[in-house]
This record gives sequence, C-alpha cells and structure tokens, in this order.
Amino acid sequence: MSAEKPLSRFHQAISVPGRRLMHHIPLAFVRKKVLGGGGRAVNQEIPLIPFIDFLLCIVLFLLASFSASGELPIDKNVKLPKAENVIDMTDAPIVAITGTQILVDGNAAGSTRAIVEANRLQKIDDLFARLKAKRELWSQLNPGKPFPGVVVLQVDRKVPALVVKSVFQTAALGGFPNVSFMVGRLGGASSSGGGKE
Amino acid sequence: MAGIDVGGHGSKRATNHDIPLIPFIDFLLCLVAFLLVTAVWSQMARINADARVPGPPSSDPPTEEKKEKHLHVEMRGERKFQLVWKEGSTVVNTIDVVRKQVNAGAEGEYRYPDLADKIKEEWTKNGTHRAASDKKLDQAVLHTDNSTPFSDVIAVIDAIYTPQRDFDFGGKTKKVASFNVTFAMN
Repeated sequence: MSAEKPLSRFHQAISVPGRRLMHHIPLAFVRKKVLGGGGRAVNQEIPLIPFIDFLLCIVLFLLASFSASGELPIDKNVKLPKAENVIDMTDAPIVAITGTQILVDGNAAGSTRAIVEANRLQKIDDLFARLKAKRELWSQLNPGKPFPGVVVLQVDRKVPALVVKSVFQTAALGGFPNVSFMVGRLGGASSSGGGKE
Repeated sequence: MAGIDVGGHGSKRATNHDIPLIPFIDFLLCLVAFLLVTAVWSQMARINADARVPGPPSSDPPTEEKKEKHLHVEMRGERKFQLVWKEGSTVVNTIDVVRKQVNAGAEGEYRYPDLADKIKEEWTKNGTHRAASDKKLDQAVLHTDNSTPFSDVIAVIDAIYTPQRDFDFGGKTKKVASFNVTFAMN
C-alpha cells in the first residue's frame, strides 16, 4: 500500500481495541450468550412437555368423540341397510327393532312376536304409550312450540315389512307422523334427497 | 426428565423423584392408537317417510278440492315393479319396470337403478309440484308384501328419492327429493 493514496474507509489504521461491550457481566452463561461465544450446542432436548400436552389433547378429543358416538347406539345384532339418497341424522327419539324386541331410546316398548304370529298390521300398545308420553313431555318442556313429530326407526335389514309398517303406523298414531329410517350412507353419498328435512 | 424436588436433604430416603416421562408418553401413544382403532366414525344417515298425506299441515286454508295425481309403487311382484299414477281411485297410467337388482356394496347391498331411472322419467313427465316456491311435494305410495325384507323396502324408497327438485327454505334454495313417500297400509 503506497503512502500517497488516501485512506479509504476500507483501509483504516489499526488501533488498540477499547472496552468491549458486555464483557464484564458476572454471570458466565449470560456473557457467553451475548458475546456469541462457543459453538452451537450439539445436544438437543426434545420439548417433551408440549408433546405430552399434544398427546393429551388427542386423547381427550378421541375420548369425547368415543362417547359422542354413543348418542347413536346401534345394537350389534342390527345390520342397517344402506341408501344413496339420504339426509343427515336429526335429534329425535329412536325406535329400535332388535330381534323380537322393540326399544324406545333403549327402553323396552313391546315385542314383534304378536305381529308376526297374527300376520296382520297391528297397533303396538306399549310403543304407543311410550311415544305418547314422550310427546306429552316434549309439549310440557316446550310450551307453545309446534311439535316436530320426528321419530327415527332403527331396523335390521331382515325385519319383515309387516313389522316395519306396524311400527310406522303406531308411531303415526302416537303423534310422530314424520318417520325416518336410519340407514348407512352408500358410497359416501352427500346429503341431498332422502325426503324433506 | 421431569422431576419433583421437595427439599429435605437430611433424611435417609430420597425425597426427590423423577417422573418417568418416557413410559408415560408410551402409555399415551398406546391409548391414542387404541382409541383410533376402536373409534366408530359414524356414517349414519336417515331416509324419510311421512305418514302425513297429502303433506304436513299448512297455515293456508284449503282452496279447492282437487284430486292430485299420486304415484303408487307396487313392489309385490317377483319379476317386476308396477308404477301406477292415480287420481283418487282413478288409474291414470300404469308402467311396468323389470325388477333388476344391481349390487352396490360388499355387504350385500343392492339397488334398483332401472326403477330409479323410470321414476325420474315419470316425475319429469307427470310431476305436479316443481317450482322451488311450491311447499308441497308429489306423493308416492309404497305397496309392499308383508314378508318383504326391510332392505328391499329401503332400496325401493331410495329409488323413489332419486328425482330431486329445488326447494325454497326461506330464501335459500336447496335440492330435495321430489317425492314424499308413505306406506300403503293394506
């Protein structure tokens, strides 16, 4: 470097270093951090606590959905038919026909045996009484509101039409004329059709 | 590893404890796997049938006694379905449809696509309630044998619900089935 050349800002004279910032901090780890000394840590800690929180959230969600599926209790012996033109489920009393038993929301409400033996359409008295009681209870709890009259029938695919028609007729007589049949969705069909909601 | 320090350095027995996090995480993972396997992802839906014929009660007073055409679906024949358009007790038209099952699932489900197509065609020709603002639906009456299995009944109801039309739900138009199905109680 020649002496005639003016010093650019890139070519400055070497000076004695002065005081360094953060050099006198008594805490070693803070000094190390702020000075940027030391290499990058090789050992990494897995953040276990957030991971456990995440797992607990999944467990709670699954447990909640597990119990929610209990809102539509389907008897293991009942094999529901499937349909394509369906609508979404609704919150309504469920009348299940399992084997020879008729259940209203899980409580026994008659038998199909008498209908099959008589081989003719019959009003099922127990079912009628239970549905009538349900209707009266709803009217007491929701005074002034129009009663929707919706009932969902959960029927095995092998049950004869005579039994289905008897239950259908009894439900209509008991004040639930809007009858829906619980079915599975065929081929992931979307919710349209299947009757007016 | 997480720990609990309760102090007390003088006693013989150690009071500081480590919570075994790894077995705890293993347990949680097992629980998640179990719940995922056993969870029932409900695919339940419903298909409607209405005992209110000719339809739900309306606030509008009845204007005139006009006999509407109803489609009677006769499924008692072993080889064919019969579609009968009736005005009251007067038969307007009768159509035969071959009873041809088509498998529609691994669990023995079946459908009647020929019947569905014919019903759709018939509704297009003879359906009365078409406008989205029309609150009434055309009526279909299902005639079944007493011994007909329920799965067969559902397959036919499914076919009846194939034709769809627009329906006005307070300014919002949705597709609904063109027919309202009920059972013939005979």
